[in-house]
Amino acid sequence: MDDSVSVRDSVLDILSGVLDIEVGDLLTQPVLAAHEWDSISSLEAFAALERHFGIELDLRAFHATRTVDDLVRLVDKTPAQA
Amino acid sequence: MTTIGETLTGADLLAALRQSLSDAEQGGVPGPALRTALLRCDDPLVLRKAAKTLAKLPLDNGLRAAKVCIQATCTIGSFAPLLRAQLVGAGIAPELESGPYGRFELTMATADFSEHDVVACLLDESYFLPDEWDTLDPAGLGKHVRARLEELRGILLGAVERSSTSFVLHTLPLPAQVRDSFISWSGRAAVSQAWHRLNADLLALAEESRQLAVVDLVGILADQAVAARDDRMFRYGDMPYTDDALLALAKQVRRFTQAKLGLSRKVLALDLDNTLWGGVLGEVGAAGVQLGGLYPGNCYTQLQRTAQRLREQGVILVLASKNDAELVSEALREHPEMLLREDAFSATAVNWASKAGNIEAAAESLSLNTNSFVFLDDSPFERGHVADELPEVAVLAADGDPANVVRTLLRDGWFDVLELTDTDLKRPELYRTRAKRADFAGGFGSSEDYLAALEIRLAAEEATSYTIGRIAQLGGRSNQFNLTGIRPDEAETKRLAESDDHLVASFAVRDRFGDEGIIGATWVECGADRWDVTNFVLSCRVLGRGVEIAAVHWIADKARAAGAKTLRGRFVPSGRNNICADLWTRSGFTEIEDGVFELDLGADAEGASRSPRWIIVNGEDA
Repeated sequence: MDDSVSVRDSVLDILSGVLDIEVGDLLTQPVLAAHEWDSISSLEAFAALERHFGIELDLRAFHATRTVDDLVRLVDKTPAQA
Repeated sequence: MTTIGETLTGADLLAALRQSLSDAEQGGVPGPALRTALLRCDDPLVLRKAAKTLAKLPLDNGLRAAKVCIQATCTIGSFAPLLRAQLVGAGIAPELESGPYGRFELTMATADFSEHDVVACLLDESYFLPDEWDTLDPAGLGKHVRARLEELRGILLGAVERSSTSFVLHTLPLPAQVRDSFISWSGRAAVSQAWHRLNADLLALAEESRQLAVVDLVGILADQAVAARDDRMFRYGDMPYTDDALLALAKQVRRFTQAKLGLSRKVLALDLDNTLWGGVLGEVGAAGVQLGGLYPGNCYTQLQRTAQRLREQGVILVLASKNDAELVSEALREHPEMLLREDAFSATAVNWASKAGNIEAAAESLSLNTNSFVFLDDSPFERGHVADELPEVAVLAADGDPANVVRTLLRDGWFDVLELTDTDLKRPELYRTRAKRADFAGGFGSSEDYLAALEIRLAAEEATSYTIGRIAQLGGRSNQFNLTGIRPDEAETKRLAESDDHLVASFAVRDRFGDEGIIGATWVECGADRWDVTNFVLSCRVLGRGVEIAAVHWIADKARAAGAKTLRGRFVPSGRNNICADLWTRSGFTEIEDGVFELDLGADAEGASRSPRWIIVNGEDA
């Protein structure tokens, strides 16, 4: 659980950087599509998440995510790369 | 003292960039140290973020403006922000434009690029490959690729004619999916061959027009070993290259743009200890420094060779070392493995003063701005100091494993030029002379004062295996200052040098303007009572400074020390050697018969005092 908290913080941090908004904005409005979540920014977040966590995300699952917490769950269940 | 460019983390870099843009005092522009940090940053994610900040650069920013356009056969993706970060890093404020997706050929064939400085073309294999191919006919695939290259060539040559813009292209890696879909080894080799030919043909485009430049991206990717492709991004977004690969390409496009705008550097200022050689000269002496041979000496040799190659191409070399100048001269002159001798440097600052001050002084004597300098040093303190005092100087680190230094020196492309001109090639010598004149502009009361100010040093030494070749060469080539015309060849010189009753010696001269190297030689028969000079030769370019007199006295001192009573010399006129007819009399000898001169070593015990006082013989004042 502790791990998830820090994963959540990191995901929020990465998203706020990519979307150029405050973490608070994401907490108030966790639906990604409500922000400038287009093909370019989402792929930048995708690359940043993979690099930060050292994981390879499933691109289909990534595109199926709707909210910040969906993303956190996806990161959480993706095993770290050897 | 820290150098921003060397120590910033990604987060710090981004924070510092945002800070600089909001800092009105700095004009809202990142300073030189921050720009260097941008150039050094290898994290594409940091650079993509940096580019978002940099896109808000104020219009009047003091950086060099450039209009750069990207045209791509695929999704441009992060190439634009990565290129922006690189360009700003090089001091360029780009107006970046991206061509429309999916219309590469149409745009290239029709658009007006006359306003642009550079058009960067991002290519992928889809442009050259057919949709389908026959795996049983690799030759057919090769034919198609060649035909597409021809089409591209036609479009480019047309674009070149319509404007004076430069177009930067690149070679393309052959995707494994293509290569490995051929299961026969011969078929696979044929496909690879066709692809290598495509890349060679792309590179050949640079020969067709000065407006076409081609980056060898394939070679760079092989060297950096970053993944060229993420298949997911390629399939999902038509993004054929990873951010790492795009950054490698962006760096090259930046290097080209920098060179095109004339922002490249002209001067390389080099430290000595633990940079140009291993070890500290003052501690280990000239013979003790690491240079040549095996690791790590070979690393320093390689750096010297690299600096030499830069110099051949017009880069001015400057010595900036905290050292004893005389020790340095000796090491540069005498170490057999030294590739960069004193005359390789257009200006030298070997003293104990601050390096920043020395770099400024060197810039002044070369009549160049310090912003054309690159400074390479192993000491973090010296680098930090120069970076603080002269932020416009590009500072490079030579510490760490010496094997890496050549890469450090070359990888940023500081010295890139689009073409080498005659002026480039002559520049080091040109500036060397210019610096000399500037240094030596003062007048002198007498020629002796002048000669004294030259600080002429004569190094007289018995022949060694390093010098025998040069001694024999001097004997063979000197016709004017050649006393007897006797010219022992290399084998004979070697035999004489090794025999007990002969002296073979070389004379080297240097002065404050540089090192002439070995310019004189003598062959002497050493009897118990009398020494006979078989011959003495001197290169004419050092005449008029009294070097020959000092050399004769060195021989006399040696003979006296060995117990000889007289030293005898001869002059045999050849019709061309009149210039040295009076050498012996000028040196205090008496003519005892026609063409035979003798010096009484007993009576002339003070002979050494007759050596010109302005010449320093073997490191000691005469």
